[in-house]
Amino acid sequence: MKINIEKNTPTLMIVPIILMMLVVTITPLIYVFGISLTDSTIARAFQNFIGFANYKQAFQDNIFKQSIFNTLWFAFAVSAIEIFFGFTLAFIVIKIKSKGTAILLSTLSLLPLFTPPVATAMIWKLIYDPNSGLINHYMYKWGIFQRVVAFLGENNLAMPAIMFTDIWQWTPFCFLLCLSVFQLLPKEPYEAADVDGASPWQVFRRLTLPMVLPNVIIIFLFKFLIALKVFDLVYMLTYGGPGIRTQVTSFYIYRVVFKMFKTGYGGALSIIVLLTISVVAMLITTIHKKTLKGE
Amino acid sequence: MENKIVSNSKTIKKRATNNIFKGKIIYFIILSLFMLFILTPIFFMFITSMKMPLEIRMSGALFPKSGFTTLNWVRTFESVPIVKYIFNSVVVASISTFLVMIVALMASYSINRFGTGGPLLPMLILGTYIMPPIVVSLYIFSMIRILGLADNMIGLSMVHMLLNMPIAVWLIEGHIRRLPEEVERAAWVDGYSKFRTLFKIVLPMIKPGVISAAVICFLLSWSEFLFALILTYSPKSMTFPVGVSQFVGQHGVQFGQMSAGALVGIIPIYIVVFVFSSTMLKTITGAAVKR
Repeated sequence: MKINIEKNTPTLMIVPIILMMLVVTITPLIYVFGISLTDSTIARAFQNFIGFANYKQAFQDNIFKQSIFNTLWFAFAVSAIEIFFGFTLAFIVIKIKSKGTAILLSTLSLLPLFTPPVATAMIWKLIYDPNSGLINHYMYKWGIFQRVVAFLGENNLAMPAIMFTDIWQWTPFCFLLCLSVFQLLPKEPYEAADVDGASPWQVFRRLTLPMVLPNVIIIFLFKFLIALKVFDLVYMLTYGGPGIRTQVTSFYIYRVVFKMFKTGYGGALSIIVLLTISVVAMLITTIHKKTLKGE
Repeated sequence: MENKIVSNSKTIKKRATNNIFKGKIIYFIILSLFMLFILTPIFFMFITSMKMPLEIRMSGALFPKSGFTTLNWVRTFESVPIVKYIFNSVVVASISTFLVMIVALMASYSINRFGTGGPLLPMLILGTYIMPPIVVSLYIFSMIRILGLADNMIGLSMVHMLLNMPIAVWLIEGHIRRLPEEVERAAWVDGYSKFRTLFKIVLPMIKPGVISAAVICFLLSWSEFLFALILTYSPKSMTFPVGVSQFVGQHGVQFGQMSAGALVGIIPIYIVVFVFSSTMLKTITGAAVKR
């Protein structure tokens, strides 16, 4: 049988990507699930089949539970704040109707977005530092702080400090996307509203918001799913400390697998994290579909 | 009477313009704060890299009292093989970007024009992006070791290619979507194969978009940390983020040298970003927001 190359070109074109996806998704999952049922270490893969003992241990692991909570809280908080600021800033830029401002701010927004996260973490490590940092220097000088504050070492400030760093990096991204959502709005409804003498608040509430909301929700979900992967900032800024206050799942699995060398246990944690994220992702897509139908 | 009405309407107009003016000032202040928020941290790092080491240890002032020095920069280049790190990053990012572009171009063309893989394939590609890389790190680490590619730039660029693939498909698909199909049909009538149409007709038309997508993938590979950390452990193959992360050690941080080291990697990125800014913006927003 001869294959008709021309007719099958579209299929042939996706063969490499399918192979690559097998390499990054299905095979690893089989491998990781397999290894999670064993008592493996990094030097000896697949030794001693122990069934679901690793999973049982994971559900009693308080550090792991805390890390899941921290990750979800981090992702939710930063995404909400970034979308809020990004949306507001984009709205203002549209309001003042100056093309130059839009271009200037968009271009500047690319800077944090493409700063390597490691370098971003370094910038903020420097800013938060009690001795060499910008914040402590001026807050102390202006008498707002009575003593220097080690942001990354305080129990209640370490997590907000990491969040703030993420906000610096990603607010510009949300701003860019919100701006393009606004720029795509049709003109006619606004002219009609103008003729009808609608107040600015009415225009925003009844016209702008319903039109942009579906897209803004998508941006939020997208940012949320990106934030769940947080690793670099925690590694560089706090290394999970103080205590386990900033322990996140990616970082904890990294510690278990590559510092404690417990690959079997790390595999079990990976599978649990993956299931959690899949459930969260499915949950938000169904909610999103329902809200779309409700509009 | 008439005069009064005229003057009344004038004051109303004046008040209105006054309000608009006030509103504009508030907007202007907010936008300036946003700009300051973006720029101050970068500026502060730059200043710190030029401060005297002694002053860095004692004060975080934005404008140093004891003047500027290039001491930190010199020490950074002396103590760390930072040029080698940058070179490694360029090699890894170039190889991975080149490969990912070819694969992504074919895939996004096939998906957009022929609907190959139905609605499932784009979902799967999105799914691979959502999956946290740490989940597969264990597997990739063992595979790379079995293949003998540990601490090797080729191995790392393969991994970066896999990581950036979903993003590349996305970015390119946005450009293909906006292209009218008529030209391609004409090419088919002229006897071009689908393959040839893609590379000879479609690719030249979306060239700026593909270049900016390539720039974005390059920068993402340049910034990638987790796999670079796991898969490289000597200056032979260490990329910039891993190399520079060593400035933040257990025994406190050398902030002056750290700042200089980080800036060595950041400044080229900023130059690239400024050069390609307009097409990059189009690519990012075009991929994310469906028209």
